[in-house]
Amino acid sequence: MLKTLSPALIALENVSFTYPDAPSPAIKNISLKIYKGDYVAIVGNNGSGKSTLVRLFNGLRLPNEGTVLVDGLDPSLRANLYRVRQRVALVFQSPVDQIVSSCAEEDVAFGPANLSLPLPEIERRVSKALAIVGLENERSRPTRALSGGQQQKLAIAGALAMEPSCIVFDEATSMLDPASKANVLDLMDTLTASGITIVHVTHDMDDAARSGRIIALDHGELVFDGSPETFFAQAEPGAEPGVGTGTEPGVGSATTPAQALGLGVPKAAEAAELFGLETRINETPESLAQRLSALQVTVAYTDGGHTESGNLYPEITQGSAFEYKGVTFSYLSGTANEVRALSDLDLRLPAGARIAFVGATGSGKSTALQLLDALLIPSQGEVVSQGHATTDPKADLKAIRMSAPLAIQRPESALFEVHAADDVAFGPRNQGLSGKALVERVTKWMNIVGLPYASYRDRLSRGLSGGEKRKLGLAGVLAMESEAVLLDEPTSNLDPASQKSIFDIVKGLSSDNKTIVFATHSMEEAAQAQFVAVFHEGRLVAFGPPGDIFYNRYSPSWGIGLPYAVRLAKALSKAGIAIRGTPLNLEDLKTALIDQARQGLSLRPLQDLVCKEGELEEGELEEGEL
Amino acid sequence: MKSLEFFRNISIGQYVDSHSWFHRLRPAAKYIVLFSLTVLAIAAPSPVGAVLSICVAFVVALGSKIRLSFLLRSVKPVLPVIVLTALLQFLFAWPNDTSTVFLRAGIFSVTMYEVWLVIMILLKATAMIIIVGWFTSVTTESDIARGLEDLLRPLDNKYFPVHRLALAVSTSIRFVPIVAGELEEIVKAQSSRGADFGAGKKNVFALARGYLPLFVPVIVRSLERAEVLAEAMEARCYTGVGQTQPPKAPRQRGEIIFLLSFVALIALVLIGDSIYFSAWIRPF
Repeated sequence: MLKTLSPALIALENVSFTYPDAPSPAIKNISLKIYKGDYVAIVGNNGSGKSTLVRLFNGLRLPNEGTVLVDGLDPSLRANLYRVRQRVALVFQSPVDQIVSSCAEEDVAFGPANLSLPLPEIERRVSKALAIVGLENERSRPTRALSGGQQQKLAIAGALAMEPSCIVFDEATSMLDPASKANVLDLMDTLTASGITIVHVTHDMDDAARSGRIIALDHGELVFDGSPETFFAQAEPGAEPGVGTGTEPGVGSATTPAQALGLGVPKAAEAAELFGLETRINETPESLAQRLSALQVTVAYTDGGHTESGNLYPEITQGSAFEYKGVTFSYLSGTANEVRALSDLDLRLPAGARIAFVGATGSGKSTALQLLDALLIPSQGEVVSQGHATTDPKADLKAIRMSAPLAIQRPESALFEVHAADDVAFGPRNQGLSGKALVERVTKWMNIVGLPYASYRDRLSRGLSGGEKRKLGLAGVLAMESEAVLLDEPTSNLDPASQKSIFDIVKGLSSDNKTIVFATHSMEEAAQAQFVAVFHEGRLVAFGPPGDIFYNRYSPSWGIGLPYAVRLAKALSKAGIAIRGTPLNLEDLKTALIDQARQGLSLRPLQDLVCKEGELEEGELEEGEL
Repeated sequence: MKSLEFFRNISIGQYVDSHSWFHRLRPAAKYIVLFSLTVLAIAAPSPVGAVLSICVAFVVALGSKIRLSFLLRSVKPVLPVIVLTALLQFLFAWPNDTSTVFLRAGIFSVTMYEVWLVIMILLKATAMIIIVGWFTSVTTESDIARGLEDLLRPLDNKYFPVHRLALAVSTSIRFVPIVAGELEEIVKAQSSRGADFGAGKKNVFALARGYLPLFVPVIVRSLERAEVLAEAMEARCYTGVGQTQPPKAPRQRGEIIFLLSFVALIALVLIGDSIYFSAWIRPF
């Protein structure tokens, strides 16, 4: 109530913005107010106008129509522009691109120096900002020597040094590994507690759920502005009610605003709904496990620990596609700046398997990937790539590279042809294909990735949306129809719908018995691999089926996080319900719980709830069984 | 063929933090050493002067705890270009070249004067690569900008904004490894798809087209980066004028004595080379 009476920090009224030469507005008639101390998440699919909207907040874009006021100041007046930018700071997506100086403290001082502040004041601000983000000990270090997470913290320190009222994070966590991301999110909480307004543009619904308010955009229009609870858990008016939900909000709702936009829901909400519990946004796995365990009628059994589920991962008999034999690799080998990236790697990757490489930024997973197709050659040891040693002086490296092509991070950045189909044809043409065979190959793979040849062949490559460009980049690699394919973070920086569709394509490749090796920061994706290799500080620290890795061998020091289902299973275990097997997704976890219930061991109310959802066949579980 | 790792053979642009006395020199002083050595390498009228410039650069590098092999590493990738440039000297006869002719075949000739020129080009190019490599090995990117700003400050006016120039230089230098890394990544991406970048193409247009898969993405990505950086600077209130200047490092007597001695030494070598060595060694 107080907020509505206090003046808004940022107020937009009927604002529209169109980029020069763009066919349609990027922002359409948006009105909103953000108050001091708010923690707002801005969500929407790629191209929905999120980044444009936040650039209107600090005068990096000026509206074609409508008014923007920041603390009562109109940024379109030149006299106000720098006062507005001082109040609303912006942290960008790519850590390295926004750093101005080559020395950490100089970079933080850049903003205050631009404000012409006296040196002692700049020094005070730099020290304070670096202390808040925890980089005091790095202040004299070259910025390029900082890790990705540290660079992003440095960017936040640079924003803090302006002493702003509001910091906007424009997908600022999307390029970070799980540990760095958690650090930055915690920092946002700390800043909110200190009274700074936080605006977080994000594709991650778990991150969005941490905020107090969600603003959703769709094709430049504001389509939702309200609480995360309403956004994720309340059906839109007129939507069909869910099965067996009654009128309780959050239980089995038909279509929530988030679902209507194809943005998904936070893991906690998804789990609660799956188990038929009231949805609590931003709930910890521990809290949800407590609620689940409170449903017990009889005390759950404990089986003394988890078992490996060997049958879930059938033995692969085709032999190895790749093998590392005592591989060590150093960048800038033999120079003063030599950096050891991988040490003593011995590993065999089974043919026809889907294998995930995981690890924090700088752990060596991308290096390991590039060694597989001879883009890098070991400093010591040997890599055998589909039967060919890459260190063999007679090896045909071009052939090795084409037999296991690498889709780099953001493969769309390697697009170079004007028209979409021409870019996909590049690889197959280099393989010697031409004429009808080439057209057929291109058609096939454009269709598979969801860019139908008939309608996309003459589309401008650079005019496609973010998700489409990623698909096109992947199609260019997949169209080579190689026996193996290497993918470096194939779904990074995409909206949830695009992430899902790209990963579905990756999974679909397994049906051809193709060997797929992919690096990822998403443990949900790693959990869908048949094998997971964990890299930590340049060494392989674990390799095996994901169930084994995440349940039995996981160490928090790896900095990789856990799939949500595993976090929940571990929380359930602490709450007294040990889960048999190693379920890696919520469906499997639910099945495991139901199986345990079938055996009369636990959770009667849970059975009742799941029966309502039709999960158990009628008559399968009699009242008297428990 | 080896790893696609561009930086392995480049020492220019790689700061080596070896904590030497030279590292602690003020940035402007390092520029003076750089310019002195450059003048010696360029202006030396005989191979003796060029060799001496390499020797002085080596001594300075050793004093800076920089390995000579590290500096020489950069010579290798450009050696074909240097050799080609040098060999072009043999292609046409120089006017007024009356020196001894060793060989003549059509437009191709080898004379004493041309051999002299080839040796000079090889030595001077090598000296320049070593000198620039030394400078960037002991000077951080921000010091490169600061030194330039300190040296040019007397010329600062509204038509020649020294601070902006220095910032542009330091930003460009900072982005060299980033863009080179990007180039490396695109080469890897396209090599995976079988790109040969025009290898074996005799037609100049086919050769140029072979490089499109490389240059188009790198240029587009560089422009995207430039746009983000420009926005990041604007968001932090950069206007190009009125910034608070960093404090100046105090002058040190030892540094001034060193610089005076060093410049005097270079001048001495240059004069000695001009009036003694070049006349003594010049065979024509």
